[in-house]
Amino acid sequence: MTKSFSSLAALYVLAGALAACGKAEAPQELMDARTAYAEAAKGPATDLAPAQLDTAKTSLDTAQKSFDDDGPSQKTKDLAYIAERRAEIAAAEGGREKAERKRAASDKDFKNTQMEGLEKTKEQLEAEKRAREAANQDVNKTKAELAAEKAARAEAEKRAAAAMASLQEIAKVKEEARGVVITLSGSVLFPTGKSDILPIAKEKLDQVAKALKDQGFKAIVVQGYTDSRGNATDNQTLSLKRAQSVRDYLVTQGIPSDKITADGLGSSKPVAPNDSADGRAENRRVEIVVTPADK
Amino acid sequence: MKVRTWFYSCIAGSSLLACGGAAVPQDSLTAAQADVKGAEVGGAADDPKAALHLKLAKDQIDKAQAQIKDGDNEAAARTLDRAQADAELALALAKEGKAQGDASEASEQVGKLRKEIAK
Repeated sequence: MTKSFSSLAALYVLAGALAACGKAEAPQELMDARTAYAEAAKGPATDLAPAQLDTAKTSLDTAQKSFDDDGPSQKTKDLAYIAERRAEIAAAEGGREKAERKRAASDKDFKNTQMEGLEKTKEQLEAEKRAREAANQDVNKTKAELAAEKAARAEAEKRAAAAMASLQEIAKVKEEARGVVITLSGSVLFPTGKSDILPIAKEKLDQVAKALKDQGFKAIVVQGYTDSRGNATDNQTLSLKRAQSVRDYLVTQGIPSDKITADGLGSSKPVAPNDSADGRAENRRVEIVVTPADK
Repeated sequence: MKVRTWFYSCIAGSSLLACGGAAVPQDSLTAAQADVKGAEVGGAADDPKAALHLKLAKDQIDKAQAQIKDGDNEAAARTLDRAQADAELALALAKEGKAQGDASEASEQVGKLRKEIAK
């Protein structure tokens, strides 16, 4: 279609040139109409406004015929004027159709872009939702961990309290600056002048070992003491042996050997006067000094 | 046709046209005026190129009315054809201008939306 319209337009221009050789010169209106038609045929009207372009061609033919028949008459000029307008109308219609198609394409593009935008926004919202959910899960996890920790702490405290209560049934327990001091009477633990633990005393030491393990600790020192009777050196030796016996027995009951030591202090630190049988009995003792785990 | 019949025919048509002359191009005048109105409604006055042809159409209608008044109905008819062509062109140019404006605006909107989404 484009090619045929263009060829026709070229023919009109050629016809005009030839006509000028043997006939009266074409009026300006007819030449303008030919040019307008040629321009329109080169533009979008060929494809997008063919009917209007055809009308323009018919108008130009009529004007040309009038010129052929009557020469550059007023009628020819009027017809050529109209033919020029028809060609311009065809060009304008082609331009309008082209612009409308461009607009339709943009509208479609706009809708597609809107959809893309919506998709993107949806994805962002979903990502935010996932992040929020993950954060909530973290919070819940932290809460659960805190609750578990709290429960574990409460359980440990309960165990420690139970251990302490259990200890208090078999020994004196005091909290001092050096740690928790568990005092066991020497007469309960050992035969007179010996460092072998009595079988009945082993049950008590089993309970002590269990309580120590339940409560937890950093370090333990077993200190042996005697009353003031007899030789001081012998007393020191006996107190150390007794302390070592207790220490070794506690190790056999699960107290780590690297955390427990023994010391013999003889009669150096009496807790009661040595001038009575009761006082001396109190001074013959083994103290288990426990450094708590949180110190 | 007998001479008498021809004579009566001339008498009967004398109120509309002079014997041998053209009739008043009333239909063309009405059509041209309607086309001018249509071009105005279509926004031709707002588009510079369209406005030029709108003015040409109006001027030619005025000229045609003067020609009718002078009894030159044949010339008036051709002038009105010119006026109609200009009015039609004015409307076509106005439509083309509007379509091009709308297309540019739509294209701009797409560009703006893309920028907005890319943020």
